[in-house]
Amino acid sequence: MKKTTIAILVILTAVIVVQFSCRKTDNIPASGNPDSEWLSGGSETAFDQGSGSFSHAFSSLSAHLLRVHEIGDGQFGATFVSAPAPVNPGLGPIFNNVSCSSCHVSDGRGKIPGIGESAANMLFRLSIPGVGEHGNPVPVPGYGDQLQTRSLLNVTREGDVNITYTDNTYYFADGEAYQLRTPAYALTGLYTTMPANVLLSPRVAAPVFGLGLLEAVSDASILASADPDDKDGDGISGKPNYVWDILNQKSVLGRFGWKANQPTLLQQVAAAYNGDIGITNFLFPKESSQGQTQFDSAPNSKSYELADSLLYSVQFYVRTLQVPVRRNVTAPMVVQGKALFIKAGCDKCHKLDLRTDVDVSFPSVSNQLIHPFTDLLLHDMGPGLADNRPDFLASGSEWRTAPLWGIGLTQKVNNHTNFLHDGRARNLMEAIMWHGGEALSSKVKVSHFTKTEREAILAYLNSL
Amino acid sequence: MKTIATRALLIGLPLTMLTLSCKKNNDNNANGFESLKTDVLADISANVCTNSYQDLYARTQELSDAVTALNTATNDANLATARTKWKAIRVTWEQSEGWLFGPVEANSIDPRIDTWPVDFNALETILKNSDALTESYVDGLDESLKGFHPIEYLLWGQAGAKTAAQFTTREKQYLVALTQNLLKLTKEVRDVWTTGGYQTQLAKAGSGSTEFTSQQAAYVQIVTAMADICGEVADSKLKEPFDAQDPSLEESPFAKNSIIDFTNNINGILDIYQGRFNSSDGKGLEDLVRANNLSLDAEIKSKHAAAIAALAAIDVPFGQAITTQQSKIQNAMTKINELHSVLEDKLNAYVLQYVK
Repeated sequence: MKKTTIAILVILTAVIVVQFSCRKTDNIPASGNPDSEWLSGGSETAFDQGSGSFSHAFSSLSAHLLRVHEIGDGQFGATFVSAPAPVNPGLGPIFNNVSCSSCHVSDGRGKIPGIGESAANMLFRLSIPGVGEHGNPVPVPGYGDQLQTRSLLNVTREGDVNITYTDNTYYFADGEAYQLRTPAYALTGLYTTMPANVLLSPRVAAPVFGLGLLEAVSDASILASADPDDKDGDGISGKPNYVWDILNQKSVLGRFGWKANQPTLLQQVAAAYNGDIGITNFLFPKESSQGQTQFDSAPNSKSYELADSLLYSVQFYVRTLQVPVRRNVTAPMVVQGKALFIKAGCDKCHKLDLRTDVDVSFPSVSNQLIHPFTDLLLHDMGPGLADNRPDFLASGSEWRTAPLWGIGLTQKVNNHTNFLHDGRARNLMEAIMWHGGEALSSKVKVSHFTKTEREAILAYLNSL
Repeated sequence: MKTIATRALLIGLPLTMLTLSCKKNNDNNANGFESLKTDVLADISANVCTNSYQDLYARTQELSDAVTALNTATNDANLATARTKWKAIRVTWEQSEGWLFGPVEANSIDPRIDTWPVDFNALETILKNSDALTESYVDGLDESLKGFHPIEYLLWGQAGAKTAAQFTTREKQYLVALTQNLLKLTKEVRDVWTTGGYQTQLAKAGSGSTEFTSQQAAYVQIVTAMADICGEVADSKLKEPFDAQDPSLEESPFAKNSIIDFTNNINGILDIYQGRFNSSDGKGLEDLVRANNLSLDAEIKSKHAAAIAALAAIDVPFGQAITTQQSKIQNAMTKINELHSVLEDKLNAYVLQYVK
């Protein structure tokens, strides 16, 4: 008996050794170890580095749930048209775009308009100073809380935005120059008077993969790293935003959107349908144009335009998109870049690891070690990036730490490398150098890195 | 002694097998297989992808000429020619959806030429108003008012039975502007592949390409696109109108061209697999597969043939078939899903194993 055991052990060892020696040269390791650094999305990581790498459904879905995901996928890409129509009626009357996927192209990051182009894949939040009944920003009379830059034919759009940039040259400590462009936004072609004290915040369409995993992180895990008054004195706050949950009629932790102003994926999706496409739904049953001259009370006055089942299917779709796998994790430059990322303190907010909560009702997102590179909290990013428009508890200079997973695939999926909330950064290094406020010391550290070190940190970011 | 010998065998056998499975890779590193990987990518990007976009542009040029003729002399013969030319473009376009990656996606060409549904209300509004119907006017319209399907609507009419005598002047002006816009966009995608260098990006994957840093990335991209179009046809284009029992959800309803569209979608898979498009024929994925796995090659081809046969068995227009030929539609979805599985599981695994 004992000898047999030893023999089996020898065989097993041999098998393991041989398998390892086989695998060594692979670009992507086997998914056997769920805690691997390669697997940004835990067991829901997509093994694709191509232009479709943001668009993979969770692999653990049952046939039934996969079908729900597919219906949501179809609906996410569905182009809406003016009512009445046999397919997808209800567009507008004022809107920003005609489908989810026309801003979130390939489930990725929106492209910012070129000089002189209309602001298609980004939108502008509007408000006037003050705080609404639920702590929300106060909508602008005649405009609501976002500028709809498109409208149906024979309907007047709210207006457009003219974007101009001013270039300035700065220098790394080693003397190499870099440029940052500062955007300026001017409202044009407004259909009616805009208050002079309007607050304007540009927002680029953010990638939509991995959101179900972020939603599955418990409030307690997020709040564990909160330090709004910086009691530990490390210069990093981490402030939770508390926002209004319409379905449950209470104030809850916000976690989605550039300022963490949406509490749940359902509300995020429903708000976007209503505000961006002009599609009413059970959470937002009123047209955004109601009370404005563009509003036509005749069609759809009785009920809302999007069936609940379709709204839920789109929520499920964005909840069940996998995160792309890391690339080149063990390449020496990437390893060096990771050390520098930590040395500069980037990981204090762009946290390397989060763990999702146990969720017996949906095992796909349950208890996963994930690497989104965010703490889902607000941080003061300084005056350079400030939009000066408060959003619930987020001040005019606070932004939610943006997740960095998949960021290295932006060029491949979306054919551009414009980053930050308004796409002003033309590449990752510019995005780093725009950091200020709490992130100022990290930025200064990066600016003192040597050229090789800067390249290493970029290699690391591009491997995410 | 005997038991020890057995144990030795037990230890030795798996070791030998594993060593062999390791070695297999090394054998394939022979120059022939290595250069084959490069040749296949070069041929696919030139003979299939780039060629298809050149063909798309050329056929759009022909449609544009036919529409010009129809505009000048509005008779049924010229209308019939324009319809034939529209269908001819669709043959190329639907096949090219088998490789829907790169510029056509990233530059948002696809939504600007192939958005469905058409916004009928807006279209009627445009026909009634007095805006000058120029190419730049059409270019500024929403996606649901330009591209293939508004052209289809104008050529066939809602019921599919329009005659030349029914054309209004505004309809002809809109049609001309629509085809000019289509010409501009198909030229754009052709140019990005040719002078823009995307063809080289794909061909030189893993050796200087910024788009594809390894050959494996390029092959995975190609196989993913092949599998995706199966999913698109089986799970969306066929399934949604079928499940809803609603012919108004059909994709090319005016020309009653849907089954032909679906068939060309599936044909695109074999085009890129075999590395051939129209008359140009080069090396394709099949050459790569046949080097190591003849049974996989045979399986892909037989599943593909079964999917095409299942689509061919539907012998009435799709909008009608969803109520009268349900078992045939179900069979087509099943066969396309089987092809999907082979591509997604086995072919993908093959390229992951043999291409780095």
